[in-house]
Amino acid sequence: MRELSLHILDVVENGITAGGNCIWIEVDEARKKDQLKIVTRDNGSGMPIEKLENINDPFITSRTSRRVGLGLSLLAAATKRCDGTLRVDTRPGKGTEIEATFRYNHIDRAPLGDMAATITTLVIGNPGIDFVYSHCIDGNNFSLDTREIRTEMQNLSLSHPVVIQHLSEIIHSALKELLTGKNIS
Amino acid sequence: MMVKDLVDKFDLAVTAGESGLDREVTDGYCGDLLSEIMGNAPTGCAWMTVQGHQIIVAVAVQREIAAIIITGSQTADDDTIKKADQEGIPILLWPHSSFRLAGRLFSAGVGNPANA
Repeated sequence: MRELSLHILDVVENGITAGGNCIWIEVDEARKKDQLKIVTRDNGSGMPIEKLENINDPFITSRTSRRVGLGLSLLAAATKRCDGTLRVDTRPGKGTEIEATFRYNHIDRAPLGDMAATITTLVIGNPGIDFVYSHCIDGNNFSLDTREIRTEMQNLSLSHPVVIQHLSEIIHSALKELLTGKNIS
Repeated sequence: MMVKDLVDKFDLAVTAGESGLDREVTDGYCGDLLSEIMGNAPTGCAWMTVQGHQIIVAVAVQREIAAIIITGSQTADDDTIKKADQEGIPILLWPHSSFRLAGRLFSAGVGNPANA
């Protein structure tokens, strides 16, 4: 895929299909260590053992709408291409955690993409789901929890254009600050 | 053939690197996996790709690629445009697939030994 954020959308969608109602997304850009790590976690029903044993095989899928499921297989291929790793930890009834690492400066590592657009797309498309997004650049952290935002917004729904605009601005400016070495708690 | 001839002939949009429009195009190449391009793209080629991040400019400089053509209605990032302007590497846009454009270039004699 052209951007890693598209992989994030993809695996998060899996977590939601698995019945999760809260999704954790962690991005860690450790540029000095030359490592990019993306972790997603859901509290859904977990992944079938058959898929887990055949992560690289796109023909093993729980999907019924088509014969191949490409999400995890593509992510696995993307990590491998960039001297990285893919770790999947799944527990029946508890959820799934997926950790993808990449060599940050590998020539074939796709850019991360627009995280503000990714998070807001997820929020708009999944009104009943909560998202906890944290992003770390060289040890400086930013995090956002839609459960807290819901309480603050009271009457407005999370997918209201005003809220989405606000979310998008918060993320954009936070990431810009992280890049300049500021810590945002 | 020069880059600007391709622009005119195939109605490509010039999005960056205008100062390099008189570079000579002697061959063509398609691909999106940058490590593969680094290893195999011929000097002086017009390179068709869907990638838009700034590393494509570095690859083009390193391989002495004549022009980058971003295909499939994709676009170049702002950083990419800045770098391409600095380096004088033209970045052209084509709305359809790489395959469609590669066929046209080949028919026009680019990288086609029969027409050389």
